[in-house]
Amino acid sequence: MSYFEECLTLGEWLSEADRRALYKYLLECNRDTYEAQAIILLNESTLKKTVANGEIFFSITNKRVGYRARKMGSIELTSELRQMELSGVRFIDIKRLKKFFAQSDVDVIQNFPLPGVNTSTQTSFGIDAYPYYTLAYYANGNNYLKGFINKIRTNDKEILTKLRTL
Amino acid sequence: MPITIPKSILTTPKVPSIAVIGLMVAQLVVINLVNNPEPTCILKVERPHHSTSMKELQNLDAIKLNITSDCTAPQKFTRVSARIQKLSNDREVTVSKFVARMADPIPKSRKTAAFRNLFALCQLGIDAAYRGVAEGYVILESGKRIDVTGDSGKYEVENCLIGAQ
Repeated sequence: MSYFEECLTLGEWLSEADRRALYKYLLECNRDTYEAQAIILLNESTLKKTVANGEIFFSITNKRVGYRARKMGSIELTSELRQMELSGVRFIDIKRLKKFFAQSDVDVIQNFPLPGVNTSTQTSFGIDAYPYYTLAYYANGNNYLKGFINKIRTNDKEILTKLRTL
Repeated sequence: MPITIPKSILTTPKVPSIAVIGLMVAQLVVINLVNNPEPTCILKVERPHHSTSMKELQNLDAIKLNITSDCTAPQKFTRVSARIQKLSNDREVTVSKFVARMADPIPKSRKTAAFRNLFALCQLGIDAAYRGVAEGYVILESGKRIDVTGDSGKYEVENCLIGAQ
């Protein structure tokens, strides 16, 4: 089993660093897939996809993209906890949507993992309040300059290498 | 001989009507408050503990912090910022500060949201006293925001030291 496959089973045991590295890894290796999905979403305003043991339903309303998710086989959808503003400029929105897809994939992987080591104690759908593509995440909602410094200091190379090679 | 009662005694109420209306309004307010009290929420922060499941399943030592927000009305979501504090030479030191998290209510009860993925790796075999602290807010389904704070109470010793890896 690769380290990435292991991450798909960890669920609530994915650490902050694992989640962040997973986001970077997904953004890197799914570049073309995310671009194709972004084009479909922009054209049709809705998109359904699956990751780990979850289904994600994206929709665009009034220049805002959001998603709801559910565990595979379940009918109970989560609320739209994460949203992102779109600019209306297609190439910018495609770039933004790629990041949004990677973020939502990580959100769903940690909540609806594949069967494995996770103990399924997670009862609420929980996500990091700030997405990884914003400085707010690195600042934890505080000063953005502090966030910028934290971002430079953050080193996910070790986990990223594990994800790429193992 | 017929008794004549003066008209003014029969028609003039002894209690002024404004007072009667006031009493009725007060009664309605009291009944309303008893039947529909303002919704409240509390943040339950459990004692940080050495996670046995993480040890068994992943062979990793970690101190875990479980948090639950409980409301008297259905909620949309809860958002919390949490940290683990350690007692070091009688001083409180934050040893783990988690990024802000948001959680949907659990499907079984729309009044409760649970946070179960807050943990910090630790080194087994070294005693340290911890407590959990969290603050945040709940957005109810009605749209109302309720600020919440909580902590796990007094410091409790665990045989695992955070920040010693």
